[in-house]
Amino acid sequence: MHEFLTAGIIGISLGAQYALLALGFTLIFGILGVINFAHGGFYALGGYVAYAAVSQAGLPFPLAVLVAVVATAALGALYERFLIERLVDDHLATMMLTLGLYLVISTSLLAVFGPQSPEFSFPVKGTLRAGTLYLPLENLVVLAVCAAAIGGLWLLIYRTDFGRALRALADDRRVAMTQGMRPGLLFPLAFGLATGLAGLTGALVTPILALSPSAGDPVLVTSFLTVILGGLGSIAGAVVAALIVGFVEAYASVYLGGSTGALILFVTVLVILLARPTGLFGREIRGA
Amino acid sequence: MEARSPSRWGAQEWAAVAIFAAALAVPWATDDLLVHSIVNRVLIGAMAALSVFIMLRMDLLSFATPAFMALGGYAAVLLAMNGVTEVLLIVPASFLVPALVALPLGALVLRLRGVYFVLVTFVLTEILQLVLFMTPRLTGGADGLAGFPAPTLLGTELSDARSVLALAAAMALLAAAVTAALTAHFRQHFAAIEENEVLAESLGLVVWRYKAMGFVVAAGIAGMAGFSLGNMLLTVHPTSFGAQQAVDTIVYAIVGGRGSILGPVAGAALLVTASDFLGNQGQYAPGLFGLLLILVTLVARGGIAGAVAALARRRRAPRVAAAPAAAPGAARGGA
Repeated sequence: MHEFLTAGIIGISLGAQYALLALGFTLIFGILGVINFAHGGFYALGGYVAYAAVSQAGLPFPLAVLVAVVATAALGALYERFLIERLVDDHLATMMLTLGLYLVISTSLLAVFGPQSPEFSFPVKGTLRAGTLYLPLENLVVLAVCAAAIGGLWLLIYRTDFGRALRALADDRRVAMTQGMRPGLLFPLAFGLATGLAGLTGALVTPILALSPSAGDPVLVTSFLTVILGGLGSIAGAVVAALIVGFVEAYASVYLGGSTGALILFVTVLVILLARPTGLFGREIRGA
Repeated sequence: MEARSPSRWGAQEWAAVAIFAAALAVPWATDDLLVHSIVNRVLIGAMAALSVFIMLRMDLLSFATPAFMALGGYAAVLLAMNGVTEVLLIVPASFLVPALVALPLGALVLRLRGVYFVLVTFVLTEILQLVLFMTPRLTGGADGLAGFPAPTLLGTELSDARSVLALAAAMALLAAAVTAALTAHFRQHFAAIEENEVLAESLGLVVWRYKAMGFVVAAGIAGMAGFSLGNMLLTVHPTSFGAQQAVDTIVYAIVGGRGSILGPVAGAALLVTASDFLGNQGQYAPGLFGLLLILVTLVARGGIAGAVAALARRRRAPRVAAAPAAAPGAARGGA
C-alpha cells in the first residue's frame, strides 16, 4: 500500500509536467496544424537558460525560471513569425523547419555548455512527512507550479478574448479570419505561449531530473505519446492523457520494471492511431 | 492504365545506377582505408535515403526506415550466426524479411496520411527499439549481436576491407536499380498520389495497391541498408537503428532533393562526407544538418538535385531563365 501511494505521487507529479509539455504541443497543432519537432529543444533550452541565470548571473531560482520562460517564448514566437509563418499550411515543410530548429538548438547547447550535465539542483530540499508517507518537497513545488500553470492556461484559453480568438482560429481559420482574427499576430503569440510552457517545464524539472543537450529527445517522444492518446489538438485530452502516461510510467517502473510500461504505452498509442486517430477523448479538430 | 504508363528510365535513373556501378570500382581503385570508410558510409546512407525517397514520392514522410533497417540487419546476422553465410541467400533475406513485415503493416498504417502517418512511423521505430532491448535471447538486447561469421560468396569469405566495400557497393547498386525501376515504372501513379490522392482514387487509380508496393519495396531496401551497416560495423546494435538515424536519413533525402532519385544519393554523399570532415568536431554535425534542412525548406524546396536541375535548365535556355518565370519550377523542385 505504501509503495502504491508513493508511486501514485510520483505518477501525478510526472503527469503534471507531461501535461504542461503536451498542452504546448497540442496548442501548436490545434491552432496552426504544425507538429513541433522542436518542442523538446525548447524544454532543454529552458533548463539551460535557468541554469545560466542561476550560475552565471546569480539570479534566484524563481526569477531564473521566469527568464527561461520569456526566452523560450520569445524564440518560439520569432521563429514562427519569421520562418514557419511563410509555409504554415505545408505540413512537410513545417515539420522540416521545426526538426531543423531542434537539431540547431541541441547542437548549440552542446557547443556552449558542453556534453557534461551541469551541476544544477533544485533550491528547495527536504521531505514532507504525512503519516508514514514521505513526500519530496521539490516534487510538491513542481506539482503546484504545474497545476497553477495549467489552471492559468485554462483561464486564458476559455475565459479571455485572446483564448476565444485562438479557439476560433483552431476551429475554422477562414471563418475566424473573416471575423477579424489576425493569424499574423495570433499565430506567433500561440506558438510563443506553447514554447514558453515547454521552457517553463524544462526550467522547473531539469534541476530534479537531469540537464543535458539531448534532454529534449525523451520529451518529444513523451509529448507525441500524450497528445496522440488525448487526441491531437485537444486541450482537456492532453491533460487527462498526461496523467495516464505519468501513472503508467510510475506504476510500471515499480511493478513491471524495465521497458514494459513504455512498450504498453507505445503499443496503445499505435492502436489508437490506427483505430481512432482522434484520440481517446478528442474530436476531429483538424483533418491533417 | 499500366499498359500506357511509360516505364522507361530517364537520364536521372541511369545516372543513379551508373554512380553506384562506379562505386563498385572504388575498392580496387584505392587502398586508402579512410576513403573506403567514407564511401561505405555514403553507400549505406544513400540506400536508407532511397527508402525515404520512395515514400516521399507518395507524399509520405517515414521515420520507420531504421525499424526496417533493424529487421533486415538482424535477420541477416541471425542467419549468418546459424550457419547461412552465403550472400546470395542473406542479401535477399535482408530485403524480404522487412518487406514481408511491411505488407500487413502497410495495410494498417497506409490508411493514415500527413502528420498521422509521420507519427505512426515515429512510434514504430520507438517500439522496435524497445522490442530489441526486451528480447536479449534473440537479439542480444542492449549488447546487440557481434562476432558473427563473415558473409561468403560461393564459398569465398568476404571479410577483408576490399570485399566488405564491394559487397556494400553491390547492394547499393541493387537498391538503386530497384528504386529506379519502381519509381520510373509507377512515375505517374506516384505523382497522382502525391498530387491529390482523393482525386487519383476517384479517377480509378487503385491507390492502396501502389502505396503498398512502394511501402514494401522501401522496407526491403532499408533492410538491405541495415545488413550493409551491420556488415561494416561487424555488429548490429539497437543504437544503430533509433530516431537519430531516422532524422539523418530524412535529412539526406530532403537536403539532397525529394524530386529526383539523384537527390538522396547526392544528399547522403555530401552530408556523410561533411560530417567526416568535421572530424573530432563530429558532434556538431546535427547542427549543420539542421541549418541545411531549414535553408532547403525555405529557399530550395527541390534540394541539391532540384537546384542543379534548375541551374542546368537556365544554362540551356538562358533567355527564358532571364525572366522570373523560371523561378516557380525551381521552387517546386523541378524534375
